[in-house]
Amino acid sequence: MLARVANNLFWMGRYIERSEHIARYMNVNYFSSLDAPNQLSQDRQFVLRSMLFMVGEPEKDNNIILKEEDILYKIGLDPNFEFSILNNVKQARENANSARDLISTELYEAINKFYHFVLNYPREIFVKSGLYDFTTNISEMSAILRGKIRGTLLHDSIYAIILMGVNIERATQVTRMINAKYNDALLTHGDNNVLFSKSAEWATLLKCAESYDMMRRIYKKTPTSISTLEFLILNPNCPRSVMNSLNQVYRHVKILNPKKRYDKNSTTFLIGRVRAEYQYKYIEEIEQDIKSLIENILKSLNDISNKINEEFFNY
Amino acid sequence: MSKEYTVTYTAENTYENWVDDAFWQFLIIPEENETQDLVSIDFTNSIHAINQFSINGYGFNTIRLHTRKKFKEISFKATFKIIKSFQDNTRTPSTPSMEEYSRLASTTDFKVDFEKYLRETRLTSIPNSKTGLFEFIPSLSIYENLLALNNWTYIYLQYTAGVTDVNTTLDEIIDKKHGVCQDFTHLFCAISKLNGIPARYVSGYLNHESGFFGDSQMHAWAETYIPSLGWVGFDPTNNIVADHNHIKVSHGKDYDDCSPLKGVIYTQGSNKTSHSVSVVSQQKAAQQ
Amino acid sequence: MTNIKNQIFSSYQKNPDLYDEIYDDEGKVKAVYQKLFDIYGGHSIQDYVNLNSKAKSSFFNQGITFQVYGEDNVQEKIFPFDLFPRIIDYDEWEIIEKGSIQRSKALNLFLWDIYHDKNILRENIVPLELITSSVNYLDQMNGIDPPGGIYNHISGTDIIKHKDGKYYVLEDNIRCPSGVSYVICNRTALKRALFGVFNHYKTHTVTNYAENLLDLLESVKPKGVDIPNCVVITPGMYNSAFYEHSYLAKTMGVELVEGRDLFVENDFVYMKTIQGPEKVDVIYRRIDDSFLDPLEFRPDSALGVPGLFSAYKKGNVTLANAPGTGVADDKAVYTYMPEIIRYYLGEEPILNNVHTYHCSRPSELEYVLDNIKDLVIKPVDEAGGYGISIGDSLSKEEIEKVRKQIKECPRKYVAQPIMSLSVHPTYIDKSESFEQRHVDLRTFTILGEDKQFVLKGGLTRVALKKGNLIVNSSQGGGSKDTWVLKK
Repeated sequence: MLARVANNLFWMGRYIERSEHIARYMNVNYFSSLDAPNQLSQDRQFVLRSMLFMVGEPEKDNNIILKEEDILYKIGLDPNFEFSILNNVKQARENANSARDLISTELYEAINKFYHFVLNYPREIFVKSGLYDFTTNISEMSAILRGKIRGTLLHDSIYAIILMGVNIERATQVTRMINAKYNDALLTHGDNNVLFSKSAEWATLLKCAESYDMMRRIYKKTPTSISTLEFLILNPNCPRSVMNSLNQVYRHVKILNPKKRYDKNSTTFLIGRVRAEYQYKYIEEIEQDIKSLIENILKSLNDISNKINEEFFNY
Repeated sequence: MSKEYTVTYTAENTYENWVDDAFWQFLIIPEENETQDLVSIDFTNSIHAINQFSINGYGFNTIRLHTRKKFKEISFKATFKIIKSFQDNTRTPSTPSMEEYSRLASTTDFKVDFEKYLRETRLTSIPNSKTGLFEFIPSLSIYENLLALNNWTYIYLQYTAGVTDVNTTLDEIIDKKHGVCQDFTHLFCAISKLNGIPARYVSGYLNHESGFFGDSQMHAWAETYIPSLGWVGFDPTNNIVADHNHIKVSHGKDYDDCSPLKGVIYTQGSNKTSHSVSVVSQQKAAQQ
Repeated sequence: MTNIKNQIFSSYQKNPDLYDEIYDDEGKVKAVYQKLFDIYGGHSIQDYVNLNSKAKSSFFNQGITFQVYGEDNVQEKIFPFDLFPRIIDYDEWEIIEKGSIQRSKALNLFLWDIYHDKNILRENIVPLELITSSVNYLDQMNGIDPPGGIYNHISGTDIIKHKDGKYYVLEDNIRCPSGVSYVICNRTALKRALFGVFNHYKTHTVTNYAENLLDLLESVKPKGVDIPNCVVITPGMYNSAFYEHSYLAKTMGVELVEGRDLFVENDFVYMKTIQGPEKVDVIYRRIDDSFLDPLEFRPDSALGVPGLFSAYKKGNVTLANAPGTGVADDKAVYTYMPEIIRYYLGEEPILNNVHTYHCSRPSELEYVLDNIKDLVIKPVDEAGGYGISIGDSLSKEEIEKVRKQIKECPRKYVAQPIMSLSVHPTYIDKSESFEQRHVDLRTFTILGEDKQFVLKGGLTRVALKKGNLIVNSSQGGGSKDTWVLKK
């Protein structure tokens, strides 16, 4: 496979995953805030700021009153905002375009439909009444794409590259959500450890990661900061956990580089090392300093992405 | 008798910003022909990129470099040793008259065989309004006419460095009456072609020890096709017939076919290039 | 029943001056079209509108589109596709097929000759100036022997049917002829929309193009290569034919590369893969000559590969089509095709050439200048229907302008009688009915050392504007599925 095309497929996977997470974060936060138990959490400004924080465009000026329609449009459909869902989907399709000869017609057609859906979604409807419909559709269409990726591609190096992109992005986005919700919980209950630990933001976070129901099955209790983080970061069976994503990346890099030789400069080595670090961590170790933990995870993921770039895409 | 030459070609390029990826093609290796033997080649560059020896589209030998190392400065140095045999150009050889020549040149076979060097090119076309500059004399032989043209070009243009470049057309050169060796050569070729005599541009090195015109750069002169003699070199910059002081590298329709250095460089911003050439001779007896 | 039947074709107006592909002179439907006519006639207009919009969205969703650059946005459009197919009877097709092969073979021998001994020029059969003054003539190709002796591996021949019911060739395209993917897409779209009609006709398949192309590419591998590594090179995803490039790469199962994916080392070509460099042996190139190699041709080309031409000259890689083929599809060379065919093959041309006046010849120039209104004036070196003037559609001022242009540079123009392209019923969105529209046919011929293949189908292009004779997609043309019936 051409190195340039591999790079494009990797990013296609990342952009698909990214648009889905942003959409879900908007959806869950917006709708759960409507009847949130805490006054601040119910505040429109608070929710909009959280969304901006999550997409990496935090509003630093506390005095500005954000307009709901503007912010929703910006994150959803604004062609001039680099991180909008529209631009993510557009990037996914551009990347698919250049690898069109390698992916299946079915996958391409699904991505293409996805793109046209977002492109043609009317702005007025979206900001007034379409948020739920739009974001739910994004989630569902991403699920279809994942199905097409799994079901219509050969499970060879092309597949491995795409899934490496998907899983690195998933781990990154879940960590970003954790970061955003951690920040929200601090803002609402920063002064009180008990309230912080029991904040409703943790349940929202789990819903953003589509993991609330499964979490309840295991812990059978209202989510707390510790149980939520344990589940979303360390539990290898949670399909969206950082641990699970790392395991997936490791599994797929093995397809690209089946060599068993010891090479401390290889991507495989680096991923294995990061994976081992989180595999044998326990939550009590990290609860003291959640902030550093988040920073470390993001850094490790970034290092892995750079390493992949250097080893496979450096053409 | 023969002469041994050591030719040194150096080039230095500096770039405003980092270069990530670059290709160069040098068309600077002296060709092997009846009058010149290439004894050795040494080619080095400051970033230790590997030399690739190849040919260009016209079959002349080239050296190519490709690097993906980042750099802002690069220098190249080539050293060639050549043995060049003496040519005696003092006698005027007997060649057909212009009339006989025209008869031969009017056959389709001649036109087909030499079309490439009769064709006008970007750098060898003279605007219609300026074609009467030099007239061939029908009663003289072809060789005598070309000698006269050589002399005329030498007198018509003033050798001036730095006023023209590789894109200057004859239209401008004829007006301003100055230029360097490639301009002399283009003008000579253009007039020769207008008179139906195939002419080609030659790129090479000139031994300056006898005080010839030209600076420490590659030199250019012309070759024209004369039946019974073949391709004969004229150096209008110096008003001489090309001889053992001329070391040939390549020929083509005009400068564009012979450009000594071509590069494909991936960088932003400006760059500076400088070249220099030195030719040093040691006379020695031909070894039998 | 009759009522419905009449509905869809009832408003079809037949212009008696034009050759209609489905109606004969007496206004009766031709036998071969009768069944199709009945089936289509059985649909109500509403049915047809639905089918048509489904076919359109099928193209759109598959991303079989091209981009139109507007002032502030980029629009994606599909190539208009007409659901009513064109039928070519086998007997007629045989002539087209033989004629296309004959032309490809003759052009190939012509190319070999003008890049080697140039006998046809020495014998004054084709004028020397015509060849050497062409911008597409590459001096660098002189003396190069392409593998198998093949230059124009792939040719596209544009053929029309004139008023007299005979086929004429309008143009040979032997640089990078495009359109073959639409032949296959049109067939797929028609099958999806109206699969029933195929039960009544025995139609040749068009899906065997890619395997024949790959077969050819492998057959022209460089010497010493056992199993060649073939690739398709594209200018990139913003090129209007990118869909076709990716389609061909996908169906041949080879890599689709851009110039930046390749590099040349010691005169061999490699592509950059995730596992390191991999040698490339045969390149089906869909970029123009001048962009192939910045060291040899246009120095500003970012699409090409530095050093590619040397690798080609040394015989380490094969390019299909060979560089320099464009000289033979020059419109001025076209006019010598009958002579070229006779000279190399000793045969009479199977397909007619349209009579052509050369403005470079004084006597013909005079005729052209006096008769512009009855002629089509074409620049000799433009592709895609650009720069063509059709005499009878020009105003007085426009005729004067054209006259002036020709006088300025007679060599640049040829003129032909205005050919009347045959017409075919075509569904027109606006009027929701069938109307007569002019059509042509592009055939795709593959030529190898021991191989000749013409895709049994070809691309029928339709000029969608009423009365328009220019069918190129860049000028708003559409296309139809084309059926070649089995014997």
